[in-house]
Amino acid sequence: MTNPTTTVTAPTSRTADIAASRRRTASATTARRQGLGRAIASEWIKIRTLRSTWIGMALVVLVLVGFGGLAAATSTGSVAGPSDGGGGTDPLSVVLSGANFAVLVISVLGCLAGAREYSSRMIAATVAAVPRRWQVVVSKSIVFGAVTAVTAVTGVLGAFWLGMAILAGGDAATVALTDDDTLRELAGMAGYITAIGTFGLGLGILLRSIAGSIGAVVAGVMILPPLAGALLPASWDEILQYLPSSAGAAFTTVQGAGREVLSPGAGAAVLITWVIAALGGAIISISHRDA
Amino acid sequence: MIELQQLSKQYSDKVAVDGISAVIRPGVVTGFLGPNGAGKSTTMRMILGLDRPTSGTALVNGRPYAKTSAPLAEVGALLDAKGVDGGRSARNHLLWLGATVGVGARRVEEVLGTVGLTEVAGKPAGKFSLGMGQRLGIAAALLADPGVLILDEPVNGLDLDGIQWIRALLTELAEGGRTVLLSSHLMSEMQLVADHLLVIGQGRILADTSMDDFIADSSDGLVIVVSPDTNTLAPLLTGTGATVTSPEIGRLEVRGLTADAIGDAAALHKLRLHSLIPVEASLETAYLNLTRDSVEYTGANPHNTHSTTTTDARRAA
Repeated sequence: MTNPTTTVTAPTSRTADIAASRRRTASATTARRQGLGRAIASEWIKIRTLRSTWIGMALVVLVLVGFGGLAAATSTGSVAGPSDGGGGTDPLSVVLSGANFAVLVISVLGCLAGAREYSSRMIAATVAAVPRRWQVVVSKSIVFGAVTAVTAVTGVLGAFWLGMAILAGGDAATVALTDDDTLRELAGMAGYITAIGTFGLGLGILLRSIAGSIGAVVAGVMILPPLAGALLPASWDEILQYLPSSAGAAFTTVQGAGREVLSPGAGAAVLITWVIAALGGAIISISHRDA
Repeated sequence: MIELQQLSKQYSDKVAVDGISAVIRPGVVTGFLGPNGAGKSTTMRMILGLDRPTSGTALVNGRPYAKTSAPLAEVGALLDAKGVDGGRSARNHLLWLGATVGVGARRVEEVLGTVGLTEVAGKPAGKFSLGMGQRLGIAAALLADPGVLILDEPVNGLDLDGIQWIRALLTELAEGGRTVLLSSHLMSEMQLVADHLLVIGQGRILADTSMDDFIADSSDGLVIVVSPDTNTLAPLLTGTGATVTSPEIGRLEVRGLTADAIGDAAALHKLRLHSLIPVEASLETAYLNLTRDSVEYTGANPHNTHSTTTTDARRAA
């Protein structure tokens, strides 16, 4: 290497060879190629070694099951059957009463999962260990998405069984898991919770701030849509149906912003687009900004 | 080996690193010195690909760090010992780091032992003292047994025991053929551990030279003489061309003659010498001389051409 400001005279390549050979023989450590699989393994260790993950996920289950059971108990007698079509609430909506609160909790957990390393400054260690930074976003969202999905399915099923048992005990109308659309509705709700959590993760990485990303997700998903639906003229409904919460309303029992709702398939597609947009933005941001 | 080629980093309001070129060789400990804000940390962050250079490149073993296949096995770095999640234990912190290159629990226990954290490895890192955090950072740097180590202020917060330990460790790592780049504000510590020096000021290289040359260049050959016969000795030494001052009675400060020459001259004239002390410059003095120069010249010349001439002079020496 001929560099103008160096005083190098030693045969550096030879010294480097010695270093490399010593490294191979002297230690029990054998490092392997860093790839997406190892990034995922690393993120899995990260997420399971934080107590807040377990507390947060337990809270999601608790909220879903607890509120569902509570709502079922209080509404016994006032629940209408799915075929009724009258003013009553259908049993599935009752047992999923905790969904809104669960979405709030998972939003916070998602934002924490994304922005926590920025507040602790550990992100520098992460991107030094995984310098192909898109892998950081992808592995984080895969691991967080998987943990959230398991949690949401557990919570939704738990709420369903507890709620339906309470309703049945109160001689109220119930639906069975095998009934038309029941499974789809439950899966939809679990999917919606997972999607909003992952959306929060993307925003957390994008905004690099726990408070900022929580504010953005909670405002964008929970506060602004009903406000907009109530305040804006009906002509806006065409646009409001593309908000994340409205897209979710297309295939779950959550409340959409306007009066118009997409078809379930289109709603799911729109929601997935939101999640991909947030993660894509996070990848662009983490790849181009200094860590 | 680390190669910096015209490496620059410009922020919106200031130039942090201004066209640095240098080669940091394996087999020696290279000390990285410079005043606060000189660009040391930014340079280290650019080597690791944490900050993107405005221009120029930083290569680790011939490649940009981000292109290496097993990054942690290529470079181990301690840049920010506080940059860990306080809610996770030291052991788990090392486990997730190691997992990125397939380094597992056995090696984690090994480095925990090396840095002396085995007993507290299960405690949350947030409860660690500054020194323990520093040890955890060093463990993380050593984890995948990298050939290149970059350590920013590793002795910060370490007790005397820890300082001696890391001194021995760094020397051993360099002797084992590794590249070690080390920054520290403790000049006496740096003088003990570093073989080579890279000094930067205001984002430019002020010196890239061996520790011995750097200190020797700054020494002005001062010899302190204590003698009851200074009245005779002083004119004698001045006569041979030396510069002699007498800060107090019975004591001379001589420049321009070696201690040997002074002793011989005194013996020849049967003059008594009680002390004859050649004063070696310390790294601290040498460093202060250099950076003071650079500051002065920067005031007069915004383009700071002096820094390159200084480097040239050091190299010529």
